[in-house]
Amino acid sequence: MPLLDISDLCVRIPTPEGEVHAVRAVSLRIERGEIHGVIGESGCGKTMTGMATLGLAPKGARIEAARFHFDGADLREQAKALRGKRIGMIAQDPAAALNPVLSIARQMDDVIRAHRTLPREARRREAADLLAATGLPDPGRVLKSYPHQLSGGMQQRVVIAQALATGADFLIADEPTTALDVSVGAQVLALLRKLVAERGLTVLMITHDMDVIAEACDRATVLYAGRSVETGPVEAVLQKPGHPYTRALLAALPDAAPHGARLAAIEGSIPPPRTRIAGCAFAPRCPKAMPVCAAEPPPERARDRHTWLCHLPEDAA
Amino acid sequence: MSPAPMLDVRDLVIRYRAGLFAPRPKPAVNGASFRLEKGETLGIVGESGSGKTSLLRAILRLLPVESGTVRLDGQDWLALQGDALRGARQKIGVVSQNPFLSLSPRLTIAEIVAEPLLAAGARQGPALREKIAALVADCGLTADFLDRRAREISGGQAQRVAIARALALEPGLLILDEPTSALDVSVQAQILNLLADLKESRGLSMLFVTHNLKVVAHISDTLLVMRRGDVIEFGRTEAVIAAPAEAYTRDLLSFGRKAAAG
Ligand SMILES: Nc1ncnc2c1ncn2[C@@H]1O[C@H](COP(=O)(O)OP(=O)(O)O)[C@@H](O)[C@H]1O
Ligand SMILES: Nc1ncnc2c1ncn2[C@@H]1O[C@H](COP(=O)(O)OP(=O)(O)O)[C@@H](O)[C@H]1O
Ligand code: SF4
Ligand SMILES: [Mg+2]
Ligand SMILES: [Mg+2]
Repeated sequence: MPLLDISDLCVRIPTPEGEVHAVRAVSLRIERGEIHGVIGESGCGKTMTGMATLGLAPKGARIEAARFHFDGADLREQAKALRGKRIGMIAQDPAAALNPVLSIARQMDDVIRAHRTLPREARRREAADLLAATGLPDPGRVLKSYPHQLSGGMQQRVVIAQALATGADFLIADEPTTALDVSVGAQVLALLRKLVAERGLTVLMITHDMDVIAEACDRATVLYAGRSVETGPVEAVLQKPGHPYTRALLAALPDAAPHGARLAAIEGSIPPPRTRIAGCAFAPRCPKAMPVCAAEPPPERARDRHTWLCHLPEDAA
Repeated sequence: MSPAPMLDVRDLVIRYRAGLFAPRPKPAVNGASFRLEKGETLGIVGESGSGKTSLLRAILRLLPVESGTVRLDGQDWLALQGDALRGARQKIGVVSQNPFLSLSPRLTIAEIVAEPLLAAGARQGPALREKIAALVADCGLTADFLDRRAREISGGQAQRVAIARALALEPGLLILDEPTSALDVSVQAQILNLLADLKESRGLSMLFVTHNLKVVAHISDTLLVMRRGDVIEFGRTEAVIAAPAEAYTRDLLSFGRKAAAG
């Protein structure tokens, strides 16, 4: 049984201008011990999928799903209870996640105290151990610091240590390296991989960066316009993508073309979230579109545990 | 004799002033030397704090330099003062990372692109309007954008407007500071293609700063890698990519190659 089991998640948000269809039909099956990447262009519903899973969808949002389960519990009822206990969050900006006027010692202690009954000295040791587990070289010194005295990479490690302190075994990381330098981001990704291997964590990794998927993830799901359109092992998705959108995304990367050659840009833009979509949402931009594409929802195609939604038959992909 | 390079920087040292009793800080740029030939693109990469912005600000004469020389199109660029400097600065156009921060949200696109022209003494009228329409068209936007406001357009469209504005005074050198870092890859590809077209059609020289080595490796002719104020690599892009001299450059290049290499 997958640890996170989402099928056809739909999140509608009321606004003064009418309802926004932030997530239309996202399915995600994440097994224990896996780092599962969710990738797509901005506005495709990555963050809202994560927020709904954390029980943090905006007030008044309507959440529907065929299945929306975490370890057997229905997230529609239990998301808030699971957050901060089994499900932790790592956001893009670690500086915003930490309190600027409290020392790291105090902030670590607050989290540890909320989850464990330990004497003060044991809590302090636990805090130092957790910081060491995130690869911070001098935990004693980090504990005495304030957030602004730490680099972005160190701050992100403290945020990860806090998530570990709650005892969470499932982390939702929303663009955790986007605000960091490439080399520092690569170290944070390596740390997450190490924690997954050593502590049996499971990670939902939200990103817009294919390099992050390639570097850190076991499986990946591609979102387009609020729908999951392709999912599979990372090697399959990156090397033999089935969906024309995934292929277009990969072809648009600068390292996909010879030095100085024109890049294969995807013309047009994603449909606004209030549009009604009958068939395939990518049809207006798809180089392979056929008349049926705009009219009917595409069927699922599969190659082993690699699946995608497209009217093109598998051998034409 | 070959024509003068667009930019010739030698032994440039930039150091910020410390407080009255504070020790002298390390230089932000520690003796940088490089050249940018006319019609070429020089890519500059480096982690944050490595000195990229300081270097650009010094080249724009927004920051004093401690020592070294900068020649722009053969001219002793650091010697220019006053009106001569203001006039010569028009040879350089600037595009920054966040197009929305650099465009006033309430102005129309036509007003935004007109700004530098009006500041340089152009008169309102049909000729100006025509010039703006041509600039905007060159940057891949249709004429109906002229009357829209900056807050009504997408990030990629805003970056096209920023490029049109930077080109308004027909500079020979375009300085771009992380111009695609806030954009999706599909839009990034459109902007990189646009820059390649403009380089070709206008013979532009470009200084392109980014943290994304793959982007800069794709579009630049020469590549400069900075680390903690030092230039650690400078050479033809293909040569640097094929045989990076520094482990740091190799790490940057290999990021994301794990699964891709299978
Ligand atoms: N609080 C909100 N109110 C209204 N619309 C929202 C809200 N949050 C997100 N949206 C819309 O929902 C869609 C998905 O957003 P998001 O999940 O943030 O995308 P991503 O993280 O993939 O960039 C977008 O069209 C966005 O504008
Ligand atoms: N206004 C300033 N005053 C003092 N030091 C500065 C200032 N701006 C930048 N620095 C320092 O100069 C160095 C280079 O910074 P910068 O040029 O901004 O690098 P980059 O653009 O590569 O991130 C850093 O050590 C930074 O702290
Ligand atoms: S269903 Fe049709 S339009 Fe959609 S991705 Fe497949 S071929 Fe393209
Ligand atoms: Mg997001
Ligand atoms: Mg900078």
